[in-house]
Amino acid sequence: MGLVERKLKVFYRKTKKGNIIKVVREHYLRDDVWCGYEGCGQCECEKPTLDMPDISDSTLVPESHLIMIDTNVALHQIDVLCDDSITNVIIPQTVVGEVRHRSLPIYKRLRDLIETSAKKFYVFTNEHHSECYVEREAEESANDRNDRAIRVACWWYKQHLRLCNQKVILLTNDYANRDKVRAMELEAYTTREYVSSLKNRPGLLDIVASGEEDKGEDTITQRCLYAPHWSMDKIRQFLKTGKVRQGCLKTSRNNFLEANVLVEGLDKSVLIQGRLNINRALNDDTVAVELLPEDQWCRPANVIIDQEKQEEENKDKEEADEEAIKKEDDLLAAGQGEGELQPTGRVVGIIRRKWRQYCGIIKKNEITESLRHLFIPADKKIPFIRIETRQPDLLYDKRIIVAIDSWPRDSRNPKGHFVRIIGPVGDKEAENEVILLEHDCPHTKFSEAVLNCLPKMPWIITEKDEAERNDLRHLDICSVDPIGCTDIDDALHCRKLANGNFEVGVHIADVSHFIRPNTALDKEAQNRSTTVYLTTRRIDMVPDLLSSNLCSLRGNVDRFAFSVIWEVSPKAEVLSFKFCKSIIRSRGEMSYEQAQQRIDDPNMQDDLTNSLRNLNMLAKQLKKKRIDAGALVLASMEVKFHVDPDTDTVVDIVAKQHLETMSMVEEFMLLANVTAAECTLKHFPDCALLRRHPAPPHSNFEPLLLSAKSQDIELDVSSNKALAESLNSVTRDNNPFFNSMLRIMTTRCMMQALYFCSGTLEPAEYNHYGLATPTYTHFTSPIRRYADIIVHRLLAVIIEADRTYPDLLNPKKLADLSQHINYRHKMAQYAGRGSAVITAIASLRGKTSEFDAYVLMLHKNAIQVLVPTIGQQLTLYLDKREKKKEEKTKPTKGAEPMEVDETPAPQFEFNEKELFVKCGSVIIRPFDHLKIQVTVDTSDVQHQRVVSKLIEPVIPGFSVPPLKRESSESKETTSKKRKK
Amino acid sequence: MADISLSEAEKRYIVDGVKLGIRVDGRERLDYRQLEIETGLVSTANGSARVRLGCTDVLITVKMEMEPPPPQQPKDGQIHFFVNCSANAAPEFEGRGGEDLATSLSAMLDRLYSSPLSLDTSRLCVVPGKHVKVLYVDVEILECGGNLFDTVSLGVKAALWATRMPRIYITGEDGGELEFMVSDNPQEVDRVDVSNAPILITHLRITENLTVIDPTPEEECCGPVQVVVGVTPKGLITTTQQLGAGTFAPQTLSASLKSAQELGVKIHHQLMQRLQQEESIPNRKTKGFL
Repeated sequence: MGLVERKLKVFYRKTKKGNIIKVVREHYLRDDVWCGYEGCGQCECEKPTLDMPDISDSTLVPESHLIMIDTNVALHQIDVLCDDSITNVIIPQTVVGEVRHRSLPIYKRLRDLIETSAKKFYVFTNEHHSECYVEREAEESANDRNDRAIRVACWWYKQHLRLCNQKVILLTNDYANRDKVRAMELEAYTTREYVSSLKNRPGLLDIVASGEEDKGEDTITQRCLYAPHWSMDKIRQFLKTGKVRQGCLKTSRNNFLEANVLVEGLDKSVLIQGRLNINRALNDDTVAVELLPEDQWCRPANVIIDQEKQEEENKDKEEADEEAIKKEDDLLAAGQGEGELQPTGRVVGIIRRKWRQYCGIIKKNEITESLRHLFIPADKKIPFIRIETRQPDLLYDKRIIVAIDSWPRDSRNPKGHFVRIIGPVGDKEAENEVILLEHDCPHTKFSEAVLNCLPKMPWIITEKDEAERNDLRHLDICSVDPIGCTDIDDALHCRKLANGNFEVGVHIADVSHFIRPNTALDKEAQNRSTTVYLTTRRIDMVPDLLSSNLCSLRGNVDRFAFSVIWEVSPKAEVLSFKFCKSIIRSRGEMSYEQAQQRIDDPNMQDDLTNSLRNLNMLAKQLKKKRIDAGALVLASMEVKFHVDPDTDTVVDIVAKQHLETMSMVEEFMLLANVTAAECTLKHFPDCALLRRHPAPPHSNFEPLLLSAKSQDIELDVSSNKALAESLNSVTRDNNPFFNSMLRIMTTRCMMQALYFCSGTLEPAEYNHYGLATPTYTHFTSPIRRYADIIVHRLLAVIIEADRTYPDLLNPKKLADLSQHINYRHKMAQYAGRGSAVITAIASLRGKTSEFDAYVLMLHKNAIQVLVPTIGQQLTLYLDKREKKKEEKTKPTKGAEPMEVDETPAPQFEFNEKELFVKCGSVIIRPFDHLKIQVTVDTSDVQHQRVVSKLIEPVIPGFSVPPLKRESSESKETTSKKRKK
Repeated sequence: MADISLSEAEKRYIVDGVKLGIRVDGRERLDYRQLEIETGLVSTANGSARVRLGCTDVLITVKMEMEPPPPQQPKDGQIHFFVNCSANAAPEFEGRGGEDLATSLSAMLDRLYSSPLSLDTSRLCVVPGKHVKVLYVDVEILECGGNLFDTVSLGVKAALWATRMPRIYITGEDGGELEFMVSDNPQEVDRVDVSNAPILITHLRITENLTVIDPTPEEECCGPVQVVVGVTPKGLITTTQQLGAGTFAPQTLSASLKSAQELGVKIHHQLMQRLQQEESIPNRKTKGFL
């Protein structure tokens, strides 16, 4: 008894890199594998699973019998197997292995069945049984071999149990296999035959899956899901003839199955729908697109399809890939909007990949020992990535980084590998790091080489410095900034001149004095380009010594500044200006609130306060002029988070207040910037670094106009002035947030403002749309923006305070630099917003909150709302699924059948033309005020999701009662019932 | 090679014997010793063979890898030889002692298989310019008992004959690159065409104009100079090399070449016969080293 023979199992495996490995596994055969049957006298099984079955129900097999199943029965008829009447089943090991290989969810159910002792399911280890082992023959497919192994096992049972007169039948779904079994003089039936012969089980036949009589799938004919990509040669050839177009793919923010490609020569972007048409292209890849014939063009879907949500729904039934894709397509088709037809195409090839490393989390796999896991990227536009890991437990609740290796045609998701752990999910450091990495923000510590460029402390002003600079230390200069600001880069002064005019000075930290061109410090600052502000962390562009000390224009210390000094008439006309390098001594670092108090307090009559009043007076006039010229006043939903630094919890969220002093500082900064722009452009027409804001094309305004129209408002978007005026004229008495909301939506229609080098564009394009100035640049924040440093250097050359250097006057280099700064700037903005989202979610965690919300946009299956209190945009899903879940969680409600009848699932009717969602008598339009309830589902670390529910207006069966009044409301409903 | 100290008298005895047409072990001048060969004994390799010729014992394994081809030969597979002289074979191989011999052996094999007439490497191509099969032939010298070159060349041929490479299917094209997959049936394999694979025949000049083949180590002590000839199954000479210090008389050399040619064809024939015979045994159990 014991080991009988050693076999070698040989197979070949292709590795990721394309190499082929021969794998040889030892496989030992034994003669002490027991049959597991209680009545068998030969086996020494300690606890036999199978026992003498009761009298058979089946008319086909009147004697009592054991059942053996084959793989297809396990795969397709698992529901039948779950029925209580099916007991005493032998499952060959071959079947278990095959099921595991083919479908993990079914494998899990099968394992559960096996572990349920009442079911009496016995796994027969036939693969290691010396008499049941079969070797694959030369011409045999793997499936055929497994079928044969099962037949042999069945045959063995028959021989083995002959002595104790126990019958074994084989259930199969495959007629061919059944007949082969019968040829071996064994009893075999299809599941349908067997179940229909059962006398007392009429309902069971319904469970038998139909049409699944085995198709005999051949594993060799591998399914390639995606169409092949064309070769570069072919793409180039077709690009020339114009049959395919080239462009950058942008995945839709709301819908991961939809993407747009911006193609040159077409006014509209090309729409790409569905996984197969996107054909393995990722967001930002440069792709070759083939346009479909016009009759196949589509409208962009008007639904929000979230990958994670989608995947979760399909969790129970891990379908074959084709089926899943078909479902996705149906979903898309169902969500087809009613807008205009858009040119539609499909990706035929990828010209340049933009793969990077992605941050995200691992999806929990049901089979713990499995090596393959799905990775959920933090960026919603990136598909899930399949990775292999041997340490899933270690990675589950961590933020990790994954790199994509390849995306073969036969794989639904790209394949990648684990790179490193960032930190635990929910951890402040880790979350910040994710944001910084995702937005490509350099955030490492400053290197030794960079720190060596800093001036040695203690820093003193030498006589040489004094000789070179204007000494403005006698002036009453002060800075006005938000509370807690440590990088103060601007200060102001104002004094009355003898001729009745004012001398106004704006003093900007002289960062270019400390950051010399082409030093390590300069290169680092250039690479970072901007300081990144997260809610709980600031990533400086320049080392702390400069940003918070030497360059920061703090009160009562001597600092170097780059000053611009105007002579301004009392009517706020600029009469002259001059730039100079200076030494200043700020009289105080004030907050906006402090400055406001000084201005408002009539008792304060000191020089500083009076100069603030003058500044304020001038600023108001400047602002009026600017608005008259057509400058837009836009709004954003920024809020300020007060975070307790010790516990990392959000103590308070306040909307950003608006004070006069803020716009006072803003006006003079704008003036300084405009002056700097004009001055540099005059002296360096080819290489001034300017900032432009293109006028948005009319199509950008379409969503805004549509929303406005739903509230019977016509906006004039023909020019910035017209827009500004029509925005000013619209208010709603019943909705105080209405105007701000309109401005927020207008902001979203705007183009990005961009830095550029003056030599690269026509002067007409220099225009700044939002500020309504012909030229503009950034001059006032050199501590946190690199563009300002360049402007400073240019100005220093103009006033002959500094030398020039080759790169500064090279339009090509400058154009490249502005591209880089634009990129970093955009990313830093996104990072800041991302950080605000996370902080907002963190503040909601662990409680149910109610908020006022305003409808931003409507979709077929969702409403996007703005919640000003937390400064966030949330999505309210309109589907009934949420409802079902709720019922499950509240069993008391579900138990009452009356309740269910009373509230039929609400039907939402979506009208895209006029833009409203209707449900019964309730109509929801953009800008409408809603009350919503927001919770963060923290039950699973992996899926911290914001769940929002409607409170008001009340839609029966959809909205939820408000928190406090819940008890009274429920009384009401019960009383209503009684009345009925 | 393994040095054996022989006295002058012993050498004279061997040389005189050869002059009379009889060798110490009873063979004639152009007789081979008995050859033992077994293939497929290393299960993890794609092909393997062990050859014993007298006391000489070598183990050869072939492993297949997929690699990108060198740019100048985008459509040709490759074959590389590595020889390792185990210190078990002879004490002087210890450390780096066997390196010279190993290098000359692998150089000889490289040369032997360098021609497309001996091994058609274009048949090892999978995706031109991207993936070709590369055969790594590892030769392990386990024991040195004379006539190493011949033994190794026979072993290499046998191992290549026994090599099984999984069948590769081109499944389609993606982004201009052909994709391939491996057959999931381990029985479905491709073989290496060894119908032209050459072997080496070594003649040892033992005295003036007399040569012997398949010399024992003792005989190798008597005559320092050998000529190694590569012969294909069709009798084509692919390479020759002289080993050791000494000279061949022209007529001796040409006689050696001629006899190598004739002998080569015969030995090829016999080798293939034996290999086919071995393969036809059903469920053959490998003997290996046990």
